[in-house]
Amino acid sequence: MYGTGILRGMGVTIKHLIDSFVDDLSFLGQPYYSDDALNVRQGTKGRGVFTVQYPEEKLPVPERFRFIPFLLYDEHEDGSRTDRCTSCGICAKVCPPQCIWIERSSDPDTGRPIPEPTRFFIDIDICMNCGYCAEYCPFDAIKMDHDYELASYDRTEAHIFDKDRLDKPVEYYASICPTDYASEEQARAEEEAKKAARKAAAAEKKRIAAEKKASLS
Amino acid sequence: MIPLIGQIWLIVLCCLDSNPEENRFGKNVSYPDEFDIDNWAPEDDTSLYAGLNKSGSNGKKLKTDSLVVNMGPQHPSTHGVFRMVVALDGETITDLQPVMGYLHRNHEKIGERNTFLQNMPYTDRLDYLSSMSNNLGYSLAVEKLMGVEVPERAEYLRVLMAELTRVSNHMWAIGFLLNDLGAFQTPALYAIRARELILDIFEATAGSRMMCNYMRFGGVARDLPDTLRDENTVDFIGDLVNERLPAAIDELDRFLTGNEIVRSRCIGVGVLPADKAIAYSTAGPLLRASGVPYDLRRAEPYSIYDRLDFEVCTRSNGDVYDRYVVRIDEMRESVKICQQVMREIPEEGEIFTGKPQYNVRVPKGESYGRVENPKGELGYYVVSKGKTNPYRYHVRAPSFINLTVLGEMCKGHKVADAVVILGSIDIVLGEVDR
Repeated sequence: MYGTGILRGMGVTIKHLIDSFVDDLSFLGQPYYSDDALNVRQGTKGRGVFTVQYPEEKLPVPERFRFIPFLLYDEHEDGSRTDRCTSCGICAKVCPPQCIWIERSSDPDTGRPIPEPTRFFIDIDICMNCGYCAEYCPFDAIKMDHDYELASYDRTEAHIFDKDRLDKPVEYYASICPTDYASEEQARAEEEAKKAARKAAAAEKKRIAAEKKASLS
Repeated sequence: MIPLIGQIWLIVLCCLDSNPEENRFGKNVSYPDEFDIDNWAPEDDTSLYAGLNKSGSNGKKLKTDSLVVNMGPQHPSTHGVFRMVVALDGETITDLQPVMGYLHRNHEKIGERNTFLQNMPYTDRLDYLSSMSNNLGYSLAVEKLMGVEVPERAEYLRVLMAELTRVSNHMWAIGFLLNDLGAFQTPALYAIRARELILDIFEATAGSRMMCNYMRFGGVARDLPDTLRDENTVDFIGDLVNERLPAAIDELDRFLTGNEIVRSRCIGVGVLPADKAIAYSTAGPLLRASGVPYDLRRAEPYSIYDRLDFEVCTRSNGDVYDRYVVRIDEMRESVKICQQVMREIPEEGEIFTGKPQYNVRVPKGESYGRVENPKGELGYYVVSKGKTNPYRYHVRAPSFINLTVLGEMCKGHKVADAVVILGSIDIVLGEVDR
């Protein structure tokens, strides 16, 4: 019969309408924009409205979500900071749109290079958020951020991030990516232990050699 | 997109700079001797307009004048910056010429400047609705040159991602086709509801919803995450491919396939006979809707497709409606593949061969890697001279080649049908213009 296809289609629309109310009812009494509720409503069990009322509701981003990179520093108990970056320049080399600019620092007295950057710039208008810098950094010094609300009225100054703007403590990274942070710290600890063992072995060897030398003479 | 275009334009300016000292990539642009870049002006449209067939069919009784209309480049129905020069007799199309190039971003030249690995995120931006498949094609091309084996689990992950991409892409294609038919937004939003869950998987696994940058030469970048939206990821994907996606496809089928308005607008419109489809070397759903059972996953199986069980969907009429039905069928097959992948994927295992390197060594030689992208055959031609960057890099973009047949299909139809026919080809301008 002519028109049955349209009627069936309208049935689908009505089902969507009813589903959205049923879904709303099942979440009655809960705050509309909590992460827990959004996780269920946006997951495979969600049957209701899928759109998110953005500035009020924000979808929780997954751990691996990548936006503009930032630099990590370790904060010590006395308040001093050490950059993890050694200004090796791999991030600047691997960056596809070439948006990273690093200046190495050198000792003012001897003029020899020190493994930390004096200046570090990222042009976030050029950055394409590919995540290569974080992926290939050998020191876990540069990571991708989760902060995606970076709009500003001025792009000449505000969109070129310098080192002050990029620097963030390791604790911040641990809070946004707990799993990755844990596995990386474990790998680092293992590496350190290996290094220490090697060092100890070398020292032991040296001591034995010295003893041998002493006994010979 | 805007910062991306700006950024690429900067690079273009940088490359075109005639002073090699000012160009940070060195002197990497050369022109033929007789070509003068400073005095070059692009051709105007006079010859294009003159070449159109303006002979009307009903000029016998009424004195009518044929009319040339430019649809685009800023027309809402063209899916981007694309221009159709249409010669009209009344409301009937006598000739149609597609004009491309408004979104040209020097993709291939940038690819020759980039190192092999650096080019991977740029391939995301070709067909930005199916970036996972784009990655797959490019890594296949370079892996052929490098001769690396991909671990078993990585192969399964690749196929899973590529097939989920196909579903999400066809969802968009159908949603937009209905937009072009005049059913604004409701079908489109119902179609992309399930796509949202697929993008959640991409975001949690690769880090980005659309610009995934997930594949590497010799595997994939990351394994599946442990949890996704507070649920075990494997359960999430299992729920999705076993229940949610089949239900969504069935619903779309129920919603649209039998709809009388859709049928009367689509059946018999934009017919493309099989011989013409082959002559224009079209690919993908466009070719299969014309009755040619050609699918690269069967014709030249890559990755693990030779082990998987799926059908190549074809229809025989080659009109807009058949293309729509082929897309629905293909989504079903893709979901079937995803179900098999989730059943057979090794629980544990390597996802990458060798040590991750930021500057891969690619031996001398040339290779052509091709995949069955949602839109057709996507091919990457890479020539390596043993340096860090490709000597020549070319993309065979399915949208671009499918678009050449648009004029043929539109002749004799009305203007409103041209919009629908364009929607049924399913183009993405990022890939057409590169």
